[in-house]
Amino acid sequence: MTAALFVFYLLAFVTVAAAVMVIAARNPVHAVLFLILAFFNSAGLLILVGAELVGMLLIVVYVGAVAVLFLFVVMMLDINFVQLREGFLQYLPVGALVGLVLLVELIMVLGTRVVPTTAAAMPRAAPEGVTNAEALGRLLYTDYFYLFQAAGVVLLVAIVGAITLTLRHRPDARRQDIAAQVRRRPQDTLEVRKVRPRSGI
Amino acid sequence: MTGLVVGPAVPEAFLFLVATLLLGVGAFLPERRAAEVMTPVAVIVLLVTAMLVMAVGPGRAFAFGGHFVHDGFAAFLKVVALVVAAGAVLVAPGWFADERTARFEYPILALFSALGMLMMVSANSLLALYMAVELHSLPLYVMAAIKRDSLRASEAGLKYFVLGALASGLLLYGASLVYGFTGTLMFDELARAHAGAGAAPLPLGALVGLIFLVAGFAFKLAAVPFHMWTPDVYEGAPTPVVAFVAAAPKLAAVGLALRVLHEPFGAFADEWRQVIVLVALGSMILGAFAAIGQTNLKRLMAYSTIGHVGYAFVGLAAGTATGVQGVLVYMAIYAVMTLGTFACILMMRRQGRYVEAIDDLAGLSRTDPLMALALALLMFSLAGIPPLAGFFAKLYVFLAAVEAGLVWLAVVGVLTSVVGAFYYLRIVKLMYFDEPAEAFDRLRRPELQLVAAASAAFVALFLLWPTPLLSAAEAAARVLVGS
Amino acid sequence: MAEIFWGVIWPVIVLAAATVAIVVPLLLAVAYLTYAERKIIAAMQLRQGPMFVGPYGLLQPIADGLKLFFKETVVPTRANKGVFVLAPMITFILALIGWAVIPFGDGLVLADINVGVLYLFAVSSLGVYGIVMAGWASNSRYAFLGALRSSAQMVSYEISMGLIIINVLMTAGSLNLSEIVRAQAEHGWYALWHFPMFMIFLVSIIAETNRLPFDLPEDEASLVTGYNVEYSSMTFALFFLGEYANMILMSAIATILFLGGWLPPLEMAPFTWIPGPVWFFLKVAAVLFVYIWARATLPRYRYDQLMRLGWKVFLPLSLAWIVLTSAVLVFLDLAP
Repeated sequence: MTAALFVFYLLAFVTVAAAVMVIAARNPVHAVLFLILAFFNSAGLLILVGAELVGMLLIVVYVGAVAVLFLFVVMMLDINFVQLREGFLQYLPVGALVGLVLLVELIMVLGTRVVPTTAAAMPRAAPEGVTNAEALGRLLYTDYFYLFQAAGVVLLVAIVGAITLTLRHRPDARRQDIAAQVRRRPQDTLEVRKVRPRSGI
Repeated sequence: MTGLVVGPAVPEAFLFLVATLLLGVGAFLPERRAAEVMTPVAVIVLLVTAMLVMAVGPGRAFAFGGHFVHDGFAAFLKVVALVVAAGAVLVAPGWFADERTARFEYPILALFSALGMLMMVSANSLLALYMAVELHSLPLYVMAAIKRDSLRASEAGLKYFVLGALASGLLLYGASLVYGFTGTLMFDELARAHAGAGAAPLPLGALVGLIFLVAGFAFKLAAVPFHMWTPDVYEGAPTPVVAFVAAAPKLAAVGLALRVLHEPFGAFADEWRQVIVLVALGSMILGAFAAIGQTNLKRLMAYSTIGHVGYAFVGLAAGTATGVQGVLVYMAIYAVMTLGTFACILMMRRQGRYVEAIDDLAGLSRTDPLMALALALLMFSLAGIPPLAGFFAKLYVFLAAVEAGLVWLAVVGVLTSVVGAFYYLRIVKLMYFDEPAEAFDRLRRPELQLVAAASAAFVALFLLWPTPLLSAAEAAARVLVGS
Repeated sequence: MAEIFWGVIWPVIVLAAATVAIVVPLLLAVAYLTYAERKIIAAMQLRQGPMFVGPYGLLQPIADGLKLFFKETVVPTRANKGVFVLAPMITFILALIGWAVIPFGDGLVLADINVGVLYLFAVSSLGVYGIVMAGWASNSRYAFLGALRSSAQMVSYEISMGLIIINVLMTAGSLNLSEIVRAQAEHGWYALWHFPMFMIFLVSIIAETNRLPFDLPEDEASLVTGYNVEYSSMTFALFFLGEYANMILMSAIATILFLGGWLPPLEMAPFTWIPGPVWFFLKVAAVLFVYIWARATLPRYRYDQLMRLGWKVFLPLSLAWIVLTSAVLVFLDLAP
């Protein structure tokens, strides 16, 4: 038990510290790297409570794909972030207020729901004797099938939208046409001629 | 919960399958051919879906484990939204062909957006609500930015996207608060848990969540104080896209708002009424006064939308069956009027270029009397002059408000309508009494004339045969509010 | 006191010993993989390869390693030092931690976790970071271009790899690597059932590890070795070790998912005499040979061809195969 507790505090501490560094780091690339660290430790926390599948998916999806694209964009930005941060503090009161409101609301949420203190009363990550993946799949493909499917349609629309807005068929670009390459026969393009010495074609 | 019931969702399933199929077909057809073929096909698909909705019938039925509900209320809104959406898709291709931005994806995106609208009015859980809202708005952002070489259209698309994402965030935050405090996602369970005598009162946090939900709806509907995106998007986005955005999605969003406020939170009308009244008041006043100084017709229509949403919210504030009926009638008539007006705007082409300033309409009665007549009828109707359809729309809403004891709100509504009438009538005056500007090009676009004429005829002749719409709306309202 | 020792300290010692028992042979294997590569390519090109350090050049990798160790590490002035030093470490560590879940034989595994496949997938998807960070921190155009190429490539091929793995998971009915191997004892090797997917998987792992003919990130001709141009001595050695360790890891994954892991090819007398781990290593070596074979024979792909292969060929093919597999499993009622 103590070992698990120790791991929990370690992961939780690093998560929070990394999250603070995300907004405190001067260099935006460092900020993204700290974000990745925060993701990592949250995944660790999830695995610690037994939600191993969700933890792994967090790493695969957020760290492996989403954050890579973040990093891509941030690396290629050529913005003077010191300049961008000037006047940053003038938003502090508003930001603090919004944060405070959210905090109060969260406390209210926790206040009305009884937080179980014993381990037995805690909601389980997966029912006894069933692996994570199976438990999740059973829910996702039955009760929440409609939402699962709807999410798929939303993603499809996102793909279609991205392609619509960015794909350009430039007439001057020469694109590889594999079918045409395969179809090409020597007799179409090659002509064998007997050339006599010193006469030219 | 056992088994997958799909029955009531057959129209949605049909629409989804056909849209996906068309996407595949479009990708393999030659580019220009695909763009030409897709529009009529999409219009037919939308109309067929509307028929399927009618075939499903008005009985209340659930699908997909209760996340999806189909009833008379949903059927009414679905049919109207589908028909209006079909009209908006129908008027688009001419403009796109002229501006050389014809893409086969446009009608397909419209189909997906329509699918989202259907899912919105049928949503029966907080998550289904969120998914449907995302599905209906994501294609709209893309459509607004589809003319990607134009700086203004891209800006409009981006603005729409960023603010729409903010609105989705509000919705999601509200939904999560409600879920956090009540512990359930389903609308019927929410209603059961907190309705009836002696039931537990709504926790404060869930109420805050409800306010966030209303804010999200207000955002999607362009109601004050979440209206700021509307004028810029209407002005910058391509006109056919605005015609689409301004009509059908508003129906769906109003339907969603009605369902959420009346089904799960019906017992708390007193709590949410204050917010709705504020939104209605702000929208009516801003819509009336801010439109006065506009010179761009599309921008003017944006403020007109804001104002009309305000009037619809007056009916919503009543919180009664007549109120719901009023809102439904109002939104149906509003959608038709807006669509007709945009069909007219799409006819404003001069020497190969589309114009959209109000002054360009000067003396239209002499250069194109028929179009002038149609536009004048639509403007009179938008202003709410009897005996046109727009008048009855306002009448029902205000009557419902008076019945519910919100007399002062109805009075403000009447006053702002008078102010609003000013700018609609100014257009009529320009068309009929000013020196003619250069004539518009003769467009050979029967579909534009058809839509404009049909909507003008609808607003003019509504008086003669109002029962179908009214009784359908009444039946729909009954489903929602019960007795 | 004894309780704490047996409860906490002893397991840690066991774990550490097991880790060392995996890592040290692995590093040796990496060293001799480079030797094997040079020898095999030399043989294919009718040369002799390394011959002078030790008998038949057998000590060549040791000599190379020592040389890299004792050189000075140069950090470019304008480089972002922290990230610059961190990047090779990440590459190297990621190449090592994947081994935690690999079963060498029946029950011979460090951590037998339920989501082993996802763990491996997560580890391999993190491989991008070492390269991207190296490219960015070097503050050099070539390095940055190489990093961009490699991350686009790895992200693209990960998708088809993920889809291929789904086929195996559906057939085996488990995410646990040992369970997948045991399922193959019952069903036969998945390389037979999913033969086209096995082929695509082999190509994808070559692309995923940025090896020839897909080594565009370090394309000498256009990028002067890409993301690791600015690296020298030990930092470079870590990249190098990481790359080869990743090759072995990927071969091990291919072995487990498709070639029946530690299982003998046939359940009969002469084959069953050889213990499971030996079969495992033989199979890994066979896949590694394919890596080297491809390097020696195939010319480098152009970048657009690489992307076309990933997105327009592998992705639809593997998707179609998923549909086919699930249809067969459902309709023939074979689903586990």
